[in-house]
Amino acid sequence: MNDIHQPGPIRPRPAPASLFNAADFPEHAFREAFDAGGSPRGHWQPVTAALEAIAPEELNQRQERVRRMRHEDGATFNPFDDPSGRGTPWALEMIPLPIPAGEWAEVETGLVQRALLLERILADVYGPQNLLKEGLLPAELVYANPNFLHACHGIVPAGKRFLTYYAADLYRGSDGRFQVLRDYGANPAGLGYALENRIVLSRVFSELYHQTQIRRLAPFFQTLHRSLIQRASLRHQDPGIVLLSPGPESRIYFEHALLSRYLGYPLVEGEDLTVRNGQVFLKKLAGLEPVEAIVRHIADGASDPFALRREAAGGVAGLIQAFREQRVEIVNPIGSGFVDTPVLPLFLPELCRRLTGEALRLESHPGWWCGREDERRHVLANPGQMRIGPAMARTGAAPQLHDLTAAMAAAPHLFMARPPVAPATVPAWDQGRVRPRYALLRVFACATEQGFAVMPGGLAITAADVATVTGETPELQRSKDIWVLSDQPVEPFSLMSGLRTVAEFRRGSDLPSRVADHLLWLGRYLERAEGLVRLLRSLFRRLAGEAGLADIPELAYLLDILRAENAIPPAPADAAGPPRYRELTTQLKAALFQKERPETVVAILKRVQEAARNVRDRLSLDAWRAINHLDGFADNQTGDPLELLNDTLFTLSAFSGLAMESMTRGLGWRFMDMGRRVERALNQTALIRIGLIPLCAESRGALEALLEVSDSIMTYRARYRTSFQLAPILDLLLLDESNPKSLAFQLSQLSAHVEHLPRPGDRRFATPEERMTLEMLTAVRLLDLTGLRCDEGGEKSTSLAAFLHTMENRLKAFAQQITAHYLSRVLSTPHFSAIRGTPEP
Amino acid sequence: MRYRIAHTTAYRYSEPASLSQNELFLSPRITATQEVLQSRLAITPEPQYLHRRTDYFGNLAHVFMVQQPHHELTMTATSLVQTTPPDPPPGITPPWETVAQRLARREHPPELEACQFVFASPLVTVSAGARAYAQPSFPPGTPVLAGAVALMGRIFREFKYDKTATTVDTCVDQLLADRKGVCQDFAHLAISCMRSLGLAARYVSGYLETQPPPGKAKLIGADASHAWIALYVPDFGWVDLDPTNNLPAGERHITLAWGRDYGDVTPVKGVVMGGGVHTLTVRVDVTAETTRLDPL
Repeated sequence: MNDIHQPGPIRPRPAPASLFNAADFPEHAFREAFDAGGSPRGHWQPVTAALEAIAPEELNQRQERVRRMRHEDGATFNPFDDPSGRGTPWALEMIPLPIPAGEWAEVETGLVQRALLLERILADVYGPQNLLKEGLLPAELVYANPNFLHACHGIVPAGKRFLTYYAADLYRGSDGRFQVLRDYGANPAGLGYALENRIVLSRVFSELYHQTQIRRLAPFFQTLHRSLIQRASLRHQDPGIVLLSPGPESRIYFEHALLSRYLGYPLVEGEDLTVRNGQVFLKKLAGLEPVEAIVRHIADGASDPFALRREAAGGVAGLIQAFREQRVEIVNPIGSGFVDTPVLPLFLPELCRRLTGEALRLESHPGWWCGREDERRHVLANPGQMRIGPAMARTGAAPQLHDLTAAMAAAPHLFMARPPVAPATVPAWDQGRVRPRYALLRVFACATEQGFAVMPGGLAITAADVATVTGETPELQRSKDIWVLSDQPVEPFSLMSGLRTVAEFRRGSDLPSRVADHLLWLGRYLERAEGLVRLLRSLFRRLAGEAGLADIPELAYLLDILRAENAIPPAPADAAGPPRYRELTTQLKAALFQKERPETVVAILKRVQEAARNVRDRLSLDAWRAINHLDGFADNQTGDPLELLNDTLFTLSAFSGLAMESMTRGLGWRFMDMGRRVERALNQTALIRIGLIPLCAESRGALEALLEVSDSIMTYRARYRTSFQLAPILDLLLLDESNPKSLAFQLSQLSAHVEHLPRPGDRRFATPEERMTLEMLTAVRLLDLTGLRCDEGGEKSTSLAAFLHTMENRLKAFAQQITAHYLSRVLSTPHFSAIRGTPEP
Repeated sequence: MRYRIAHTTAYRYSEPASLSQNELFLSPRITATQEVLQSRLAITPEPQYLHRRTDYFGNLAHVFMVQQPHHELTMTATSLVQTTPPDPPPGITPPWETVAQRLARREHPPELEACQFVFASPLVTVSAGARAYAQPSFPPGTPVLAGAVALMGRIFREFKYDKTATTVDTCVDQLLADRKGVCQDFAHLAISCMRSLGLAARYVSGYLETQPPPGKAKLIGADASHAWIALYVPDFGWVDLDPTNNLPAGERHITLAWGRDYGDVTPVKGVVMGGGVHTLTVRVDVTAETTRLDPL
């Protein structure tokens, strides 16, 4: 068999097929990109032409670049964030969805009308309830609807607007008309992703973006910000606005962090806020700071564990009382989740006619409400042609078919049915070619003085099948940027200029106590991890050598330290001599990888990552990458432990360096560094105390091991060039304020930090923290090491032991003082009087 | 009857509590059969913030916050009320099916108003189990009140009063399985049963003057918060029934507030920051005023 290549007959090369083939797109759905004849619609031509001018490999690279940029901006979950293996919410796919100016104008007018109508309904439902009394809204919509919050009835929001932020999911039916599938009032999601998509896409297709007249998003954010300030009569400089998020466990936390950065509203969680005298405050290091407006990204029901559901985590106890007292403007007002009620759209056409005298411009997806007998009969007679779902609460599992009849008989008003949605298809880049995807458009509007402003753009949500695209799992959906085309030249309006004008709001000067607490612990865990890694490295290095265990005199000392740190189990009481090799390596492996024990390397690394995740919006992207790199640790159980430890130490140092370098020298940096210093001082003190007996015996091995795990061996050699002696070693590790590993160095750093912490009132008086650091620093400076020789009666070592012991206690007391003074996170407990009653005797 | 009520709730904390927020439904409502002559609320330590409002159901609610560190919090509500016996309900009430239909059609304002007590609420689920339990008391055509009284009697006989069996969160299905609870549970169960038939039933929070056993003096502080239900009877109004004692609520029942369930009218609920271990003491005294007040 010969392998010589035989050129085949030369076929004429087919003309390069167009990327965009109408034939690939099912005909039953409206095709966004093609007209009825299958030619690209006019407004698509710039997009299709631009893409077709690029080689497919290059397009693949661009899509990869899109993915990478999204990831680097933090819009994806890393495996650590995501133990359950969820995917990325709304992964960005690069082909934009252009909408012509004329079509958008209709959407815009329709949305404004709808938002105003919904707001009037909200104002009525939470006010006089005339719609209910006149029968325009069935009683079930109020009385059997969990989205109606009794506690909020009668409240007029501070800004006198009942709906201030609104989103809707639109789809284009087979006739090409836009219809509303869902309305969102309580806390619409997706705005941040739309913003991020635009930032990424305008860079990846910068030429196309700038050559096409595409309406900019930035003005919308400016409008949102200015309207809020104006409505709530806030100061223009330094308005007390915060963005309330459920925290990193939210699957769209990225969006909260991005909007917070972009709008310049500090990102807070429920426990950062407190209500006093009917007013909301942000708990900061320097004390309480008034909050005048809250942009909330938490659900209605979770907003106030006091007034609403007591199991609600993440809310602020008393928030509704402050809302009731008009002491805080909330976007959206609590209770606006009424707008999300799935069955409400069925009543909008009639409500619109009655309330405004106009016809509803944007139609809703049709449906039948089982609370009405004729409609229920229709639904039951045609089960195959529609999907039955909840009518009141959007969330909650759809009932199984066999339960359905019973459930519907008991409470028919809780169900509705809708015909299948037939959304339009859009071209999407998928594995090297253009394929059809179904698309919904999530569009946003905010209240303005005149009514509502619609964001010219939005989030196109896409999926390969209708069930996914209309589902509620962003991780299974992808997204596109919506390009609203303009007839006129667009003003060059950089997205980033928005960032510059309002961002960095009061950062640096002060920060929420919770953030300071996480930073302090991040510093402590980092140092703890580094210390343990160093210690284990010393051990593995010795075990890798030629010597038998009995020939390593410092082994006992090193193991004692590990035991003191609970990294390995205590030595058995009857142990004589060194442990067996096999047993020892098992224990050391466990100290590396055992997840269940709290003091192992893998467990501490996990805590480092958790602490970092909680302050994610304050870490640079580079630092964040280093943190993600730690994920690899647990996967390396079979490799060489020494190599792994070296690698981990390197990553930890990289992270510390990057995190510290990229932080301004404000309070955040101080708290993180204080955590590190406290931990290192404690560690250094303990290392000497645990080894006091072998150290005082001037065991060469122990002295060398101490220098090694203290990371000071190079300094010692450079300075003394002599054999290892106790006194100079103690001088270097305890007293030498120029050695960054010494106790004295940590204490002098701490004392510099505490001077800069916020304090109430007069600067002339020392704070308790200042007194404590001064005491410790003085004690170290006064420690007399001259002629310290342990063999002379041991009295000195006793006093050294006492010194070390006292120092550890003082350090712990100092850490507690900082926590109590600045970081106090007191647990709150609900209480309820039970009604027992008494039966008559 | 004229009653003086003193209801004291005291929390003692092992560690100082830094912030305490509470909502109270402890001021009696004015009703057709109840006049409120005096109503006072005393709180120590003095709260920095006190807010009073009428809630969605027309009850009087107080919200207060104590914002300085405190080891103890005491709330005492004292009131003087004059109760009169309710009008006797009509001897024959409409069949329950008719009532359910009228509530479903809700052609008249009182029916629309009553309609808010027809549906499930956060603490009162309306399950098939509740309907099955209710059914024997409501054969077809049963007058609605007769059915409710029969149901009340069955709950009284078939359920055991047991202070240890339930918590404030016990659900109706659990009650039906265990067959024991306290007055709040019996009220929730009765409400769930009525609502499962499409009837309107609300939860009433208040007090009952207890009668000492014959020949014994009444013990001070022996009274307690009480709860019962009210059933809507078209063209008449609400009829109060006490399933814990199997009797129509009368002159000796003092009404504080009503709502869809316990959650709407919890007499004392709150959140406290810090405070360590809490101890709670509740003391309720309902005293009949026998001497008439001198006219001024």
